[in-house]
Amino acid sequence: MGEAFLEVMGLNKQFGGLKAVNDVNFSVAREEILGLIGPNGAGKTTLVRLITGILKADSGSILFKKREITGKKTWDIVNRGIACTFQNMRPFRRLPIIANVMVSCLSPRAMKRGEWVKRIEAKAMDALEFAGISDMALEDASTLSQGDLKRLEVARAIATEPELLILDEPFGGLSPAETELMAKSIHRLHKGGRFGRLHSEGPAMIIIEHKLQQLMKIADRIIVLNFGTIIADGTPVEIVNNSKVIEAYLGEGEI
Amino acid sequence: MDLIRFYVRKLFTVLKNEVIVLPSRVVVVVFFLFLLLLPVFTNNQYTLRIFTLTCIFAILAASWDLLSGFTGQINFGHALFFGVGAYAAAMSNLHVHLPPWASIPLGGLVAVLAGLIIGIPCLRLRGTYLALTTLAFPIILMGFVFAFPDLTGGELGISGIERIARSRVTNYYIVAGLMFGLCTIMWKITDSNTGIIFHAIREDELAVRASGVNTTRYKLLAFCLSGFFAGIAGGLYAHFMRIAGPSTLEVSMSFLVVIWAVFGGVATIYGPVGAVFILFPLLEFLRFWQEYRTLMFACVLIVILLYMPDGLFPWLRDKIETECPRCKIRNIATRTVCRVCSASLE
Ligand SMILES: Nc1ncnc2c1ncn2[C@@H]1O[C@H](COP(=O)(O)OP(=O)(O)O)[C@@H](O)[C@H]1O
Ligand SMILES: [Mg+2]
Repeated sequence: MGEAFLEVMGLNKQFGGLKAVNDVNFSVAREEILGLIGPNGAGKTTLVRLITGILKADSGSILFKKREITGKKTWDIVNRGIACTFQNMRPFRRLPIIANVMVSCLSPRAMKRGEWVKRIEAKAMDALEFAGISDMALEDASTLSQGDLKRLEVARAIATEPELLILDEPFGGLSPAETELMAKSIHRLHKGGRFGRLHSEGPAMIIIEHKLQQLMKIADRIIVLNFGTIIADGTPVEIVNNSKVIEAYLGEGEI
Repeated sequence: MDLIRFYVRKLFTVLKNEVIVLPSRVVVVVFFLFLLLLPVFTNNQYTLRIFTLTCIFAILAASWDLLSGFTGQINFGHALFFGVGAYAAAMSNLHVHLPPWASIPLGGLVAVLAGLIIGIPCLRLRGTYLALTTLAFPIILMGFVFAFPDLTGGELGISGIERIARSRVTNYYIVAGLMFGLCTIMWKITDSNTGIIFHAIREDELAVRASGVNTTRYKLLAFCLSGFFAGIAGGLYAHFMRIAGPSTLEVSMSFLVVIWAVFGGVATIYGPVGAVFILFPLLEFLRFWQEYRTLMFACVLIVILLYMPDGLFPWLRDKIETECPRCKIRNIATRTVCRVCSASLE
């Protein structure tokens, strides 16, 4: 493993008496795709919200590129190079799709990196094209289907040209065909070169999923969260055979 | 001579290709001509006075829309900016003898300061709490006005302020011109990239922050911009009425602004402006019906809110224009194919 790009140390978060995230430690390398799985309510979304500063951690620290980002504002963290998508999509419903993405393009980070692209619209269009919904750029976001909303989330996130991209259940609610397409896009994005031509390296990624299946093919490494604690950490093959993981998923049928 | 002919021809081309094709643009041109020619048709001082005031309140209503309609930071105390602008212009004119062309922008700047001062505590608040807090600010300022009557003139206000210009007609033209200019600027702001962020903040502030945009800065910007335009309206009011009194800070003034904007259609700029031009003269000309005036006003308002929840002007606009489903260009409602991309409009 390369040196730590994102490092999470001793992270804790309680909601009332519920320990949603309980002493979590892990790290992500620059060139990695990390899968994060766990049953419903395991604390995956909460963990993402802690990393992106949407929620404040009770204790623990998060280092990004060796810099402390704990307690920083969300927009500041995004401008340092971490972008995330929302599990329950949050588009600006009454704005056209292209305007949804233009908001990201207007962030200081995107503006600084895209000087050579004169028009914000052109940049937003690039992101939409990458996500595969450029043909609907002028429609209102409220007209999009579930799958296309997921794509819009991805387009919005990559428009900030992140170095670490966190996708919260990008396959949730998608049909098998859509899932296949999305997985391809993600893989292509990770290889880089195509989007954000300034840095040909694609972003490191944390992909959150409910089930292991979809992650098997694209993730380099997987960590498993249950009741707010990490119960396993390893390659996809190691994870499928891990007895603790099988136990955690026992009530849910398949992994 | 050739040059003149060139420009005249150009004007006609623009009229033919850009204005005639869309009813809403025709309406704007007619509205402009109406404002321009009004003093030619009537010499009635009363009428001119009403339309001058209408123009001033149109600026005020549009500035409320810029803040509350676009960013969703509902401000129930917009009279604060208006009053601050009026008092600042009046005091600087009376005590420092600034001429109106300097004291009115100064009123706008002092209102920007007020925007900052109330904007910062309001950043943490949302919805009802924000509305109630903003409601309190003009009331607090009114307390100050009554507490220091030597400085503020107390209940009577500050009078003896210079006129904007000598003649009523000049007054009218200056105010109407400013109204047209300032509202165009506000509309341009909302049409710009900044406007997109304002829109997005109203829709989902957290998602804007997760897009890497500092929403605090943009919300403060909205408070300041709105304060500036409302402050200018206040300064114009003070110089036109030649008095700046506590009535500019009244709760009813704040509510009137909200009513105008909601009646005309929020987040449009043109809606509130149009609403003021309908409601304010109507209310004035119905003066001889004193008893029924408020009642009728309330009835009209309820009808509008029930049947046109987006406001009167967006509703009207949808009646006379249709949006092309393919290229999103607006067309006159009678067309069957889009004027740009020829897509069917059925
Ligand atoms: N804002 C909140 N307030 C209170 N409890 C919360 C909040 N967000 C999440 N939780 C609780 O924390 C636990 C973890 O939730 P979440 O992180 O959304 O799980 P996951 O994304 O893994 O399904 C759940 O039990 C949930 O009910
Ligand atoms: Mg979740």
